[in-house]
Amino acid sequence: MNQIRNFVKNTFKDVPKDRREDIVNSVTESLIEKVEDLVEKGLPEQQAIDQTVLEFGTVEDYFVNYQKKAKREKRQKTIMHYRNDLLLSIFGSLIIIGMLIFANLYYMPNIIWFVIPSIAVLWWPLAVLYNLLNKKENKKVDIDE
Amino acid sequence: MINSDIIRGHLESVILRLIIEEDRYGYEISNCIKERTAGRFNIKEATLYSVVGRLEKKELIESYIGTKTHGGQRRYYKITTLGKAYYEQKLSEWTELKEILETLLED
Repeated sequence: MNQIRNFVKNTFKDVPKDRREDIVNSVTESLIEKVEDLVEKGLPEQQAIDQTVLEFGTVEDYFVNYQKKAKREKRQKTIMHYRNDLLLSIFGSLIIIGMLIFANLYYMPNIIWFVIPSIAVLWWPLAVLYNLLNKKENKKVDIDE
Repeated sequence: MINSDIIRGHLESVILRLIIEEDRYGYEISNCIKERTAGRFNIKEATLYSVVGRLEKKELIESYIGTKTHGGQRRYYKITTLGKAYYEQKLSEWTELKEILETLLED
C-alpha cells in the first residue's frame, strides 16, 4: 500500500503545503479502499494497484473546477489593479504638469517651455492605459475559448 | 466518448443523488456511475474525490468510518439535511434546464 501512498504524494507534489497533507491523506484512503475492493473481487494485488493508479487520472482532473475559478478571480483582481494604476498615473501627471505650468509662467513667462517635459510625463498614463487595454483584450480571448 | 464538460457541471448533483439513495464509500460511487451509464461515462477518480471533498467541506455530506461485511474498514459518506435541500434545488434547476434545451433544440 506504500506504492499507492507514494503515487498520490508524487501526483500532488506541487500543491501548496497547507492543503497537500489533507488531500494526500483522503485520496490515499479512498484509493486503498478501491484496491481492497478489487482484491476482494479476485484480482492479484499488484494488478489491482496498477489498475487503480492507471484509472486515477491526473492532478489536472482533480483541480479542474477549482483552478479555472481561481484563475478568473486572479485576472479580475489584476484588472482592478490596472485601473487604480491608471487613476494614479492620471492624477500624478496632472500634478506634475500643473507644477511645470506654474514654474514656467511664474519664473519665465516669455518662453513657453513646459510643453516639452509635459509630453514626456504624458507617456506615463499612456503606458498604463496601453497595459490595461491589452489585459482586457486577453480576457476577451479567454472567454471566447 | 461524449464531451464531459456538461456532465462535470452536474457532478455534484449526481454524487449527492447516489449518496441520498444510501450511504456509500468513494470507490462505490465511481463504480455506480460506471455501471449505470453502462460505461458510457467513466468518471476520473481524481475528479470524483475532489468533488466529494468539496461537498464535505460545504457540509452537504458527512463521512464516518464504517465496517464492511467482510471486515474491511471504509469511509462512508452520508447526506446531511443541507445536502438534501441543495440536491432538491439542483434537481429543479436541472429539470428547467432540460425543458429549455428541449424547446430550443428539438421542437
